[in-house]
Amino acid sequence: MSTARAAFAPWDRRELPGLFSVEESARRVGHYKWAEMRLFEALGGWVATVPELDVKLVLGRHTYHHAWHAELWHKRLPELREMNPDRLTRPPNDEFVAFVDAVREPEAAELTIEKLVGVYRVLIPRFIAAYTFHLNATSTITDAPTIRSLRFALQDEYDDWRDGEMLLQSLIDSPETVERAARRQAELETLVVRAGGIAGPGSLGDGTDPGPAGAASGDQTA
Amino acid sequence: MKRLLPESELARDERFVRSRIEDRVFDPRGPKVAERNTGPAKMATDRPSAGERSRSLMHGIFVGEIQALEGAGRTCYDFDDDQAPFALKLDMARQCWDESRHCEISVKLGDHMGTEIGEYTESTFLYQAACNPDPVLRLTGVNRALEGLAIDVFNTMKEFGESSGDPILTFCEDWMLADEVTHVKMGSDWLRRLTEKDPDRRERALEFQRTVDKLFSLGGFRGESDENPVQLARRFRELAGFTNEESDELAVIAKEAQAEAEAMADAALAASD
Repeated sequence: MSTARAAFAPWDRRELPGLFSVEESARRVGHYKWAEMRLFEALGGWVATVPELDVKLVLGRHTYHHAWHAELWHKRLPELREMNPDRLTRPPNDEFVAFVDAVREPEAAELTIEKLVGVYRVLIPRFIAAYTFHLNATSTITDAPTIRSLRFALQDEYDDWRDGEMLLQSLIDSPETVERAARRQAELETLVVRAGGIAGPGSLGDGTDPGPAGAASGDQTA
Repeated sequence: MKRLLPESELARDERFVRSRIEDRVFDPRGPKVAERNTGPAKMATDRPSAGERSRSLMHGIFVGEIQALEGAGRTCYDFDDDQAPFALKLDMARQCWDESRHCEISVKLGDHMGTEIGEYTESTFLYQAACNPDPVLRLTGVNRALEGLAIDVFNTMKEFGESSGDPILTFCEDWMLADEVTHVKMGSDWLRRLTEKDPDRRERALEFQRTVDKLFSLGGFRGESDENPVQLARRFRELAGFTNEESDELAVIAKEAQAEAEAMADAALAASD
């Protein structure tokens, strides 16, 4: 009896085309690593500055999650032909640096809401968006290692976002704290919009994406 | 957020009560209380004070874990990439998660043993060792001296759990002990890597470690005799990368610290007569 079967089982619908070249995937991964590093440093630094014990312990746990994401991206860069990972470990633009500096700025013990809003209502949702776009846009076959890391990171991002949002909901308990949270979110949203997101303009695609890398035409249905 | 956060700015809720270790050790009432004590200082189940001592030590472990978490977190933040390599920061981030779990375990063990947050005071000398502006000295002081102490403390508590028939205490301490061996090993590895070409810096770091070790042996708190509440855990220290010579040296430091404390106590007692 023949054992010859198709390479792809009937239910495996993965396709070759993807929006990103090797270079574009590497560029984005470098920005992810830079942003995850700045985030885990800030979370670690804040642990000593928040008096709420439950928040302190959650920040300690999340510090490692984001450090691990940075490590995943650090290891992925040489596989994307960037033999000096530090070269691509950079922010997408100066506006994104200004945004991250603003996220990391609060220090005083009474600013827990401002710290958490920056991370869990602005920055982490941007990670979820950028990672999801990358996951959906890149080739499911050629860029599969990046996809695997994106999925691990995304699972943490969802879980961490939920932890942070629930802490915030428990801390926002008056018109004054509602106002503080909303004001902080608006300030940071303004900055991140100016930056264009985790990977700069086009973090979520801009509607003018080229066809699949290497494709001869824009016709994806052929 | 600024770098190098002083211990005076550590954030706590209103349950926590801060005290200075010097005030506790040099409390003039101490020698008279000690006079009333009979029998060994080592925690033993046949001692009437064993329950109280173990609860007090558990609370001390809890606040120590908070400060270890804060110290590791600050090492992630306080240094530029050229001062502290990326891989070192990753290790410190991992340690944050471990210490965070240890805080959770300690809170639950405190409930289990009948104490609560704030029943005993907190002294922040542990975090102070984590404020050194040189990352190598900080790692050596925290990961080799302090986490080394944690090995001794957890092993002592684990043995107390075994002798007192408390499987929950034994189980939890054994898990935390595994993490602490990892943390000490991290400290030993980074000390070697970062000072490979700088013997002077290595010697400064080891000197800082000796200072911290002496501080944590204060008053005979740690040692190898029945007069020491916390026992030196040589076997686990060996797993963490300490040589026999280093453990011998620590035993000498502990003995010196105990002799100094006894001399001070005698002098205080003579002065009060």
